Amino acid sequence: MVTAGAFDGEHPLHPAGAEVLRAAFERGWARPDGLSAASAQSRHLLSSAREEIAAGLGVRTDEIEFWGEPALISPVAIMGASHFAHGTFIAGATERQEILAVGARAQSMATIPVSEIGLIDRDLLLEALESDSTVAIQAANIETGVRQNLADLAPLVGGLGAHLHLDFAAAGPLVKLPAYWSTADFPAKSWDGPAGLGIMVINANQRWANPLAINTTHRAPESFSLPLALAAAASLTGWLSDSAREAERIRSLITLMRTVIKQTIVDVDIAGSGDANQSLPHILSISILNVSGEELVAALAREGFAVASGSACVATAIEPSHVLRAMGQLTHGNIRISLMHAVAESEVKKFLALLPGIVDRLRMEAGS
Amino acid sequence: MEVNNNEVELDCIGALCPTPIIQLGKAIRDLPAGATIVLKADDPATQSDISAWARMTGNSVAAIAMHTYRVTKR
Repeated sequence: MVTAGAFDGEHPLHPAGAEVLRAAFERGWARPDGLSAASAQSRHLLSSAREEIAAGLGVRTDEIEFWGEPALISPVAIMGASHFAHGTFIAGATERQEILAVGARAQSMATIPVSEIGLIDRDLLLEALESDSTVAIQAANIETGVRQNLADLAPLVGGLGAHLHLDFAAAGPLVKLPAYWSTADFPAKSWDGPAGLGIMVINANQRWANPLAINTTHRAPESFSLPLALAAAASLTGWLSDSAREAERIRSLITLMRTVIKQTIVDVDIAGSGDANQSLPHILSISILNVSGEELVAALAREGFAVASGSACVATAIEPSHVLRAMGQLTHGNIRISLMHAVAESEVKKFLALLPGIVDRLRMEAGS
Repeated sequence: MEVNNNEVELDCIGALCPTPIIQLGKAIRDLPAGATIVLKADDPATQSDISAWARMTGNSVAAIAMHTYRVTKR
């Protein structure tokens, strides 16, 4: 029996968050801005959660806004940049689709290509940059785990005083904010917190205004669920402690997977360099020639391994992964593995022992 | 699969990924070095996958028209 979610992109709620959640619904049900004793208690709980999250993410408490719809954080943060309405919107080619889609609302857009290992082309970024640009860069990619070199790229944007939005949907607190940044997006799912809760971080030294028509005294709608905010805070603390203990073990398991898959399967593309400075410790994307991604995902599921795929024939996608395409990687036969802290080495070894046989069988059935 | 002027034509219009790439791999297997295949495929994945396939297998590919590629065996 494989641990549920151990290999999948979506992991179950961290136990620390699950424990807090029930009590939070009992104690934190009142609006934090009311006058009642229950509201005062909610205010106190929210304030503690804010401090816990700010500490975990390395930002100030007044830079944090809770959002109940995490998918809106990046689009709103980008469109709220002071120059967004008249400057160029610049994004890396492997940013998430909801971020690239913001380009349709921009005066003009420049998409910066990435190298074959997924790194943003620094020279082309520099060429596109102007002082009124709004730039969106991911700390790491959610499909491939490739980390951008923020320490190198952020000063290019900062040197011109342009807006720099950073997406931490994949990296979560594993990657630190660079010295220069304007806004950032941290969905609680990035630290195995609850779905339906995310953190928008707005640099206190930067000008930003919410582009949505909401109450002008607030930067966010404040319609988020307080119990989920409390669970997010508890999950973050628990996850950081797990990560300090497990990240290197997880990285060595991913390195083992890279090595063994290359040795045991011919014609396979593994995304990214695998270098510790250029990749998250827990994500691996592999594409196997002459294999259907859909059949591979189904065959692994029958063995108890739930994995995601960027291939077009899987799920509802008609187009193959724009991330793999931008990197020149094979898009079919793709699986994405995201190891959970609780994964056992024996589970990884079982996966590695099974995969070559499954690939051989699928290739034979396809007549390749 | 048709052979015209020593050039093999492989029609995969309407076939979904990874079928065009698998068919291409099968068609090229028994051809001599330097032989060419013209592949027609309109699946959106083929456009990027054919370049990755060429890189992985050492063959060369050129897009010659919309949804049409000339592949030369190494």
